[in-house]
Amino acid sequence: MLTVDNVVTSYGMIKALKGVNLTAESGKVTCLLGPNGAGKTTLMFTIAGILRAQAGTITFDDTDLTQFSPVKIVEHGISLVPENRLVFPMMTVRENLETGAYLRVGKNRSAIADDVERMFARFPRLEEISTQLAGTLSGGEQQMLAIGRALMARPRILLMDEPSLGLAPLIVKDIFRIIEELNQAGVTIFLVEQNARMALRVAGHFYLLERGRITFSGSPGELEEEEVIHRAYLGSRRE
Amino acid sequence: MTDFIQNCIDGVMIGSSYALLAIGFTIVFGVLRRLNLAYGPSIMLGAFVGTLLYVQFQAQILAVALVTVIGAVLAGMYVERLCFWAIRRGAALASMVSSFAIWMQLEEIAVIILPERTYPFPALTDLAPLEIGPYFLRSEHLTMFVVAVVLVIVVHAVLYRTRFGLAVRAVSENPDAARFMGINIDAVMFWAFAMVSAIGGIAGFLILATDQQVTPYFGLWATFKGLIAMMLGGMGSLPGAILGGLILGIVETQSLWYLGNDYKDLSAYFLLFLILIIRPGGIFGHAMSEREREALRRV
Amino acid sequence: MDDYVVSVLSNMGMISFLALSAYLLLLTGEISFGQQAYFAISAYLSAMATAMWGWPLWAGLLLGAAAAAFAASVIGVLTLRLRGLYFSIATLAFAEMVRLLFVIFHYQIEIDGEPVGPDGAEGFRDIRWVFENNISAFEYMVIIFLVLFIVLVLLFRLWRSRLGSIFRMLGEDTLLAEMQGLNVIRFKVLASGIAGFIAGIGGAFYAHFATYLEPQIFNVMLGVHGLVYGLIGGLGTALGPLIGVALDIGFLEAIRAIHGYRMIVFGGLVAVLLIFMPRGILDEERVHWIRMTWRRWRNVAR
Repeated sequence: MLTVDNVVTSYGMIKALKGVNLTAESGKVTCLLGPNGAGKTTLMFTIAGILRAQAGTITFDDTDLTQFSPVKIVEHGISLVPENRLVFPMMTVRENLETGAYLRVGKNRSAIADDVERMFARFPRLEEISTQLAGTLSGGEQQMLAIGRALMARPRILLMDEPSLGLAPLIVKDIFRIIEELNQAGVTIFLVEQNARMALRVAGHFYLLERGRITFSGSPGELEEEEVIHRAYLGSRRE
Repeated sequence: MTDFIQNCIDGVMIGSSYALLAIGFTIVFGVLRRLNLAYGPSIMLGAFVGTLLYVQFQAQILAVALVTVIGAVLAGMYVERLCFWAIRRGAALASMVSSFAIWMQLEEIAVIILPERTYPFPALTDLAPLEIGPYFLRSEHLTMFVVAVVLVIVVHAVLYRTRFGLAVRAVSENPDAARFMGINIDAVMFWAFAMVSAIGGIAGFLILATDQQVTPYFGLWATFKGLIAMMLGGMGSLPGAILGGLILGIVETQSLWYLGNDYKDLSAYFLLFLILIIRPGGIFGHAMSEREREALRRV
Repeated sequence: MDDYVVSVLSNMGMISFLALSAYLLLLTGEISFGQQAYFAISAYLSAMATAMWGWPLWAGLLLGAAAAAFAASVIGVLTLRLRGLYFSIATLAFAEMVRLLFVIFHYQIEIDGEPVGPDGAEGFRDIRWVFENNISAFEYMVIIFLVLFIVLVLLFRLWRSRLGSIFRMLGEDTLLAEMQGLNVIRFKVLASGIAGFIAGIGGAFYAHFATYLEPQIFNVMLGVHGLVYGLIGGLGTALGPLIGVALDIGFLEAIRAIHGYRMIVFGGLVAVLLIFMPRGILDEERVHWIRMTWRRWRNVAR
């Protein structure tokens, strides 16, 4: 279980996160919604160790990860599917998957090869294009690859930063179906999204982040979908 | 015609060491997106320490080679920490200028170690040249070429078949994504630099052992050769670096033969300038990737 | 004023032109390793004008600087498609070509029975206009600084002007500038030309100060030094390069005592400085802060 407790992260003099509290429970899909600039990616980066929190703690299954470097975060079972996918364009699909298992290489080569096969089984499309250079793939294929790559690290929790970004609606449906399937297979997922409608379909619990603070926490259905969508894109209505 | 082909043969042989230098620049550029202007001088420093051993203690050639490489690697690590790691977040210009400052520093250190203008360097081999028909293959050239080829194969294997190589390529393509994979960027950059310095040390040794002498101008000379060769073939491309080195070698030998010493370097620069104007990405050029554009944009 | 000090100050003045030249291009977003080429072209041409064709210094200087500006504009056009390090290496290649061309350039005429003129690697001696016209070293130094002052004032006004902000826009984001309808070509070439002209002024002064030129002087080291001065002194203002020049030449003169170790010390200091101030001593932030503080002071005093 991932717990974020009163985390404050600043960029220079600008406080991007002003004391964020949330929990992502094991086995669930937890969603963080909010408009652009609210601090969603900042939070992801703070959890991933790229940014350092100025205050607050991040705990994962009783381990305090707040000061950990990105390498240690991955070692502790947290894997990130970054915004915009960020696949390695000049490497093949297979090599991209192998980089996901970077920290495990050397420990067990055959286990990794098995995992690649397993990833191919889960995403048959990736097997079809396994020798293609990742830079030539379509958006949806890259997203699949990015997810597969993150899973190669055998994470205990999968962080996903705006998986629907830049993808056509039909592809987005596919991706969220994959997210649901992954969760049903037991993967804990913490998802940051702007596409509130799709996100609410898969989330077990969701939060709203507006201007660096959590403004709502609950299950889908507790708040009217229209209200959620509005706040996810535009922030709260100003009465 | 015989002369032309002989020159091509000689050019390719010499060009193989230029190719090694160019590979060094290319890998550093790939991983750090910056030019290491202290590359030649750090190799020279290693060579000077090797020369010291040779001149003072009559060391064997293999010992000299080893010391040259180790010296180059140590100097390279110093440069990496001071000029690149420490200025990590800063603009590319600051790192390159810093490496220039250290270039001057290393040159002065070298001159302190060996103050004379020229020193003997052990010969690579003393075998007679090989004769194939009307063509001569000098044994030093042949040795240089063979070692260079082996080294290129080794580098390729490292980059494409080892975990470290995978990390180097990942960082070259997208350091942010690499970090998300748990790759330690700083460590990769450090060891890539060390590897590149070792390659440079070997290249330097081969060149100096062929010339059998070493001067304090070697640092500047090696930097230029490596840069020109890299640019000819296209910055950021390893096959380009190799091709660029070979082409540079051939252009040099041909212009030396047909136009004389005064025109040797002029031809090389002219060719480089021409290629840059006509094909901005070098011979193996490709339109610069977004990332390069990003990296180079803010001065 | 003692001869030695005059000589050092004159050096600083002349090199400042080169530094300003590289700095101007830095502002437009280009790192040039080759401004020494224009320094050289003007040095040789102005020297030929005064020593071989009997021209007065000011005419020779204008000729040299104009030729340098022309050459720079041509190179500016040729390198338009080059960005970043490709541009830098192209300028390096060009500068080396110029230097090597001067090595094979022989053009001498007889004056009073003696050959005068550039003689390839042997150099170009007897550029004696300054002595023949009885201008003392001190007076020459004053001339140099006077012209430098004028150039600085012009640069400051350029900065404030529309042209200046266009140049800085090019430096920030060329693509964006283009999309805003800026004729990037025209302005890049203009910037190149102006930078070449400035370097040319310095070159002409140098030729007549040293009275002797040889191609070896105008090597890459000179060019990169020019660039480095701007970076050390600070990219935030045209005074930056001058500060860099003063620091380098001043510092090097000051530690003459440790003659054999100067570069070790200086190189190390520069590297360390760049760790803490990667955009120089007077970088944009600091200059901005100074300006704001100054403005606040003035308002308080009212």
